[in-house]
Amino acid sequence: MPEWKQIIRERLQGSKLDGAREAEIVDELAQHLEDRYDALRSSGASESEARRQALEELNSSELLAEELRKLRRPDAPEPIGVPSKGAYFSGFASDVKLALRNIWTKPAFSLMVIGMLALGVAGNAAIFSIFNGLFLRPLPFPEAERLIDLDETAPKWNLHYTGVSNPDLYLWREHNSTFDGMAFFDNSSFNLSDHGTAQRVAGAAVTYDLLKVLGVKPLLGRNFLPEEDRPKGPHVVLLGYNLWQRMFRGDRDVLGLVLKLDNESYTVIGVLPPEAVFPDRAEIWVPLGVDRDPAKSTGWYLNGLGRLKRGVSAEHAEADLLRVHKAMIKSGWKDNEITSPILTPLRDRYLGDFRMVSRILLGGVAVVLLIACVNIAALMLVRGGARAREIAIRTAIGASRGRVVRQLLTENLVLAVAGGAVGVLLGKLCLVGMISLMPADNLPRWIDFAMDARFAAFCVAITGTAALLFGLAPAVQSSKVDARGALQDSGVRASLSRARRGTLRALVVSEIALALVLSVGAGLLVEAFQKVLHVDPGFRPENVITFGINLPDVKYKEDVQRVAFFEKLLDRLRAVPGVKSVGAATATPLGGHWGNFWEAEDNPPLSMNDKNPVTLQVVATPGYFEAIGMTFLAGRPFTEEEAQPKHIRTAVVNETFAKHYWNGASPIGKRIRHTGGTRKPTDWIEVVGLTRDEKHYGLEQEMKPGVFLPLPQIPVNWMNIVLRGSLDPQMLIPPAREILRDLDADIPMYEVRTMTERLDDSLWARRAYSWLFAAFAVTALLLAAAGIYGVVSYAVGQRTQEIGIRMALGAQPGQVLREVLGSGMVLVSIGLAVGLVGAFWAVRLLQSLLFGVSSRDPVIYAAVVLGVAAVGLLANFVPARRAASIDPMRALHFE
Amino acid sequence: MATQPLDRELKKGSAELLILSLVESRARHGYEISKLIEDRSQGTLSFRVASLYPLLYRLEARGWIQGRWVEKAGQRRRRFYKLTREGRTVLAAQRRGWQQFAEAIRRITGIEYA
Repeated sequence: MPEWKQIIRERLQGSKLDGAREAEIVDELAQHLEDRYDALRSSGASESEARRQALEELNSSELLAEELRKLRRPDAPEPIGVPSKGAYFSGFASDVKLALRNIWTKPAFSLMVIGMLALGVAGNAAIFSIFNGLFLRPLPFPEAERLIDLDETAPKWNLHYTGVSNPDLYLWREHNSTFDGMAFFDNSSFNLSDHGTAQRVAGAAVTYDLLKVLGVKPLLGRNFLPEEDRPKGPHVVLLGYNLWQRMFRGDRDVLGLVLKLDNESYTVIGVLPPEAVFPDRAEIWVPLGVDRDPAKSTGWYLNGLGRLKRGVSAEHAEADLLRVHKAMIKSGWKDNEITSPILTPLRDRYLGDFRMVSRILLGGVAVVLLIACVNIAALMLVRGGARAREIAIRTAIGASRGRVVRQLLTENLVLAVAGGAVGVLLGKLCLVGMISLMPADNLPRWIDFAMDARFAAFCVAITGTAALLFGLAPAVQSSKVDARGALQDSGVRASLSRARRGTLRALVVSEIALALVLSVGAGLLVEAFQKVLHVDPGFRPENVITFGINLPDVKYKEDVQRVAFFEKLLDRLRAVPGVKSVGAATATPLGGHWGNFWEAEDNPPLSMNDKNPVTLQVVATPGYFEAIGMTFLAGRPFTEEEAQPKHIRTAVVNETFAKHYWNGASPIGKRIRHTGGTRKPTDWIEVVGLTRDEKHYGLEQEMKPGVFLPLPQIPVNWMNIVLRGSLDPQMLIPPAREILRDLDADIPMYEVRTMTERLDDSLWARRAYSWLFAAFAVTALLLAAAGIYGVVSYAVGQRTQEIGIRMALGAQPGQVLREVLGSGMVLVSIGLAVGLVGAFWAVRLLQSLLFGVSSRDPVIYAAVVLGVAAVGLLANFVPARRAASIDPMRALHFE
Repeated sequence: MATQPLDRELKKGSAELLILSLVESRARHGYEISKLIEDRSQGTLSFRVASLYPLLYRLEARGWIQGRWVEKAGQRRRRFYKLTREGRTVLAAQRRGWQQFAEAIRRITGIEYA
């Protein structure tokens, strides 16, 4: 039987149909010819006669081809130039089908592409989720962009944020013209006792209008009334949603219930909705009730929150508040000379520190994705070479260049979608891991890292971009295949054009360069982290555990009661087996700041508005220094006797204090006092000891001047108890809890943590971003190595015959090895040079994170360059050795 | 061969009508359609592959007929074309038009004869 299909195909040349459509037409026409042939045969025609007559059907087949070509553009009634939907999708569907088939036939290649892309996308998805949660996801309040943090700043006191004072609260609120509302709050916590068990609950004292400013309504009951928000106002309380669920299981009868907060009775008037997530962590709201009388001002301590009028900018609002603030000076309120209002977008106030770090991480991980794309592009180019024959055939049977590009792009898209999907899943896993590493206390609770539409859009966008990046250039290049040349070539190993080889080299160079930039950045960050870790904290954190105690004012009204309680508690704790030393302080290292202003006797007296850095003031027991492990440079701690009231007053100061007031001369025997602010200065206090600075605000933070005062002189009602054990300090907690319950069952122990934990937590962000960046760099380096390996292996494969001939002619394997290695290392070297220039430029962005490590640190640069070069050498060496071991006979027989 | 251009025009104008009529009652494949045209016109009209199939595809692209591959046991698969709803409307209109045209021709040519 004649080969109808073959004949028809030849006649159809020039009709430029797409593959699937063409196959159908060929099928159909062949069937027709066959029917005709059969009919002719059965009517008695000879085979050759039947064949001749059947083929006459195809006469004027140019007409056929011409007609079919016209058909590609649909006739009326469809509008000209727009393909019908059905045709478009069936075309796309057949493209996808073909793409899946092609992908399936090369599983190793496809898995490699999907794997590399997934790696790149995973990192981006994870980091973007974090960036999204921190900075992009809107706060859960209506028109949250109008909410702004209100505070005061005092550069002369070395304080960026001082808090807002009571008089400012009232006058700002009454005289501003740029806010719809202003609310203030003070974070505090309460002992919430309930039939013999006590717990410490975080709360806030808030002005009556905070809910209104946030734009939320109580879930149950009512908001505070303005008349409840006054000094000595009624004891009313709003419960946070979680506390209500936890303690009262969502019982709606909770309204009117009376709670014991710090031994005082408070009536529940309402429940907050779940979206009232601000102030952070506050589960109990009580009215703030501050006195507006300036004479009763208690300093700067309030947090403020304003809702800007629509269309008002933060700058405008700040200028307006400054006007109000300055006007207060004229009316005699001198305190405002040193402070001025400072307004910060709400989110930046709490997360501003993370903004740059997360941008840098996003940048780093984007580079990883870029390298992955470069790698995939190189793979595709190489494969495009191998596919030249296939493409040539398709062009020869009439596929247009656009058609070939479309098919290749569809393949890339299918690969990208697969890689992207795997990447996003992987990224979610990474994210879960990363979140579990974040200490719960260091981020506001209103942060949410869940997936949202923005995250989905980002993933689609990067996957699509990646597909374009790695797909377009190779696709365009592949479509330029010269059909006749590729078909005449021996076929399987169609070689790459000069242009394509150039592109491949450029890709290798850029991979090395990018990997080097990331590695230098990672090297510097890790070095900085190591440097921070080796900072002397000024205390010995091992085997120390601390917890907080807060005595309710009602029950412990008298100074002596409070002092006696703490002394009794410490005495009992000292007797617990395993306890080496015991002390107490208002603020342990990394445990918060209480500031005050001091002056030295032999220095000029300072007035309220003189330049005077704020001093960290710690009230401590004599045993505290020993328990926390601080070092005395001179003098001694205050003694038990000196600690008693009415005794001569003594204090211990730190190095920074001595440096500031006496230029580093010995402070022992010198006298200091509170400046007193607006009130009278205190009596002079004698300095009896000088300690090495403890890194109170974190290992990488600057220390402020510090003064330690004995407890009885300032009989506060809160203390952090410090226990130093001989073994695991966690073991000391159960007996301590027992002792506390024995002394007063209504007092809870809170913030129970070892000093090592506190230190670790204080470093979590630096640890996290340094190691994340290092992980990116390692990934980048591995990807680059894989890329080089692939390209050089391919080049060696291409040259098998040539190398074979040369070896047959007497070239030594060593020579071949050197040559292949040499040409590969030239690319690596160029990449290193380009990367060095890039790194010099790029690491400036990291400067503020480097903690004293120079961004030009020669040791790190040298180490990284050597490391990357070594990886490059290894990636080159494996294929080079394969080249050197080519057997000339086999290579020549390969054809 | 002076009649050839006219022949072609006539065929072109009537071809659509012929095909639509043939697939009106049931679905038919290309060879069957060409065979029927040839048989029923007793050889006066015949379509070759080169003109029949482009026409079929064009009618299909316009949505007047719809082709479907059908496989019958023991036979090779064939593509059967059937009239669509839209094709039915077009066929009715074309029939009317053709009848009016033929009637007009008959009248004119009939009078000439008389």
